[in-house]
Amino acid sequence: MTPETMPRRSSIAFAGLIVCLAALTGCGKTPPAYFRPNMVEATKQRLTPDQEKQVATILLAMFGTPDEPVCLPETGLDEAKLRLAAGPVRSDIVGRKNGLYREHCGHCHGVTGDALGPTAAFLNPYPRDYRPGVFKFKSTERADKPTHADLVRVLHKGIPGTSMPSFALLPAAQVDALAEYVKYLSIRGETELTLMRAYFELDDEAQGSLPETREFLIDETLVTVADKWKAAADAEIQVPPMPADIDLVASIAKGKELFYGDKANCVKCHGVTGLGDGQANDYDDWNKAIVEIGKELSSGSAAARETSTSGMSPDELSEHRAQLAWLDKFGRVLDGDALEPRTIPPRNLRHGIYRGGRRPIDLYYRIHAGINGAPMPAAKGTVPPEEIWHIVNYVRSLPYELDGELGADKPMLARDRF
Amino acid sequence: MKASFTLSFATVAALAVSAVHADEWGTIKGKFVFGGAAPTATELKADKDVEVCGKHKLLAEELVVAADKGIANVVVFVRDKGVKVHPDLATPGDKVVLDNKDCRFEPHVAVVRTGQTLVIRNSDSVGHNSNVATIKNSPSNNLIPAGGEATVTFASEEAIPAQVTCNIHPWMKSWLVVRPNPYATVSKADGSFEIKNVPAGGEIELQIWHEKAGYVGEVTVSGKAEKIAKGRKKVKVAAGDNDLGEMVLDANLFKK
Repeated sequence: MTPETMPRRSSIAFAGLIVCLAALTGCGKTPPAYFRPNMVEATKQRLTPDQEKQVATILLAMFGTPDEPVCLPETGLDEAKLRLAAGPVRSDIVGRKNGLYREHCGHCHGVTGDALGPTAAFLNPYPRDYRPGVFKFKSTERADKPTHADLVRVLHKGIPGTSMPSFALLPAAQVDALAEYVKYLSIRGETELTLMRAYFELDDEAQGSLPETREFLIDETLVTVADKWKAAADAEIQVPPMPADIDLVASIAKGKELFYGDKANCVKCHGVTGLGDGQANDYDDWNKAIVEIGKELSSGSAAARETSTSGMSPDELSEHRAQLAWLDKFGRVLDGDALEPRTIPPRNLRHGIYRGGRRPIDLYYRIHAGINGAPMPAAKGTVPPEEIWHIVNYVRSLPYELDGELGADKPMLARDRF
Repeated sequence: MKASFTLSFATVAALAVSAVHADEWGTIKGKFVFGGAAPTATELKADKDVEVCGKHKLLAEELVVAADKGIANVVVFVRDKGVKVHPDLATPGDKVVLDNKDCRFEPHVAVVRTGQTLVIRNSDSVGHNSNVATIKNSPSNNLIPAGGEATVTFASEEAIPAQVTCNIHPWMKSWLVVRPNPYATVSKADGSFEIKNVPAGGEIELQIWHEKAGYVGEVTVSGKAEKIAKGRKKVKVAAGDNDLGEMVLDANLFKK
């Protein structure tokens, strides 16, 4: 350490001490929480700063802020529940805990529900981004929203094999409020996506501005999103019960045949071993969106590098510059607002860990409807209910298959099997 | 009373018929030509179900250019929302078939009308699944066993063509255009396209899209470059043929 640097270091330390003291004594006010705009979509749709601002203004009027949620009747949401879940963690006047979302969920799922909370990048799989309105583990058809009970179940049980813990220790009213708040964030996020995509469809006369009418904003946009949630309440899949007199051994054998057969075709992704090693290079919808943008970005950058600016007319030159600026912006947006995409491995069925729940009916739902947002297709219409039950029974037997050459008494690693 | 009712009914019917006769309809046609050296399609590697899919020579279909440089699979549709529909086309045709055949989708770009049934078929001897990534309509992903089929319908139009993929065979990709009227088509192997029975006597807006180029921002007709923002080209439609001629799409448009 040279004498010259000494005083500077101590002055930095002193400044640091002041900052710490200020924080401890609370002289600085906590800045209000805000919802992060969906910059990936905004940039993808090439929105101008004015258009980004218009979306933010509309969303503020429709949904309020993380501290002061607005609950329009068209959303069908319960405002009292939202208030319990929203805002900073605190006790209200009757001593009831408020700010539940930020206490329990925000650090992974983010204040916005965009799965960009501070811990998100460290988790595998990443937490769910609610904004596209796509949920995996539910009792409804593939493209339908989950029921309220489905969300409550996930909160109650957690998601085995992931970082999502169980909140079974919370009072039922708190879990209920959190499920409602997840719906609120999802409706907000999907409305934002719809608005951002709507610019593209505008006619030239609109001059790049969305109509701020009740008809467009509420009837065409918000209601369209919210009604899908309302419809889910009555959309539970009607599952014919497993025949009570079913011969389990025979059913497992039939299930095995279906698993490997061309009709159900489970083997193609879950692998001949059932270890989930059949299809290793696919992405789920959330990650695929980022992968595709990444591809567009790299080929766009390559094309821009190859383009010679000599001989360009002033118009072409400004267009070229706008393209460079867009590519540059997109690179920065991906760095800050998207996580490194990851492939989605098909489930290893010999672990006995079922993310969407281990009840036979949970497996039935997964096979019948497929998994929304994931590559898993729906067997509905192709495989009749009775056969789905056979597959359920076979899948449930896989972790305990002792007599087969691929049984649980054999090494679990695929490379050791061949 | 009854007589007058019959009479007025007849009058209305007569008026309706004459209105139809008074309408004139035009055909919009043209041809897309690649502006640059025709690229050669890269061969795809079938690494799943090799014993079946490996038998077929699979080529990437994202940009298909013929020997005479005609560009296949360019999507053209009439964008105008309330466009009048020719009475012969008032009801959508029975169904549109998207086939999983030889481990690729046929056609590569399918066009379906709202309310029309899309039959996704599997003519292969291996199982497929068809992941239809629509945005405004509920997306679907059905298992299609060998020889089987699934049906999908669409309530609303899609602003951009939706991708259809097979998760089992990742090289399989195709596109689905969902429009609320019959005025949508895809250029043939030689780059030519034709939209029949478009209302004549006014101006309509065509939307031009290609999977690699996105919304085509520029076309060159007889050496004259024309910028078309968001791929929207206004066209005056006269009764009879409206030939837009050879529209050259510069090779740079496809470098995206």
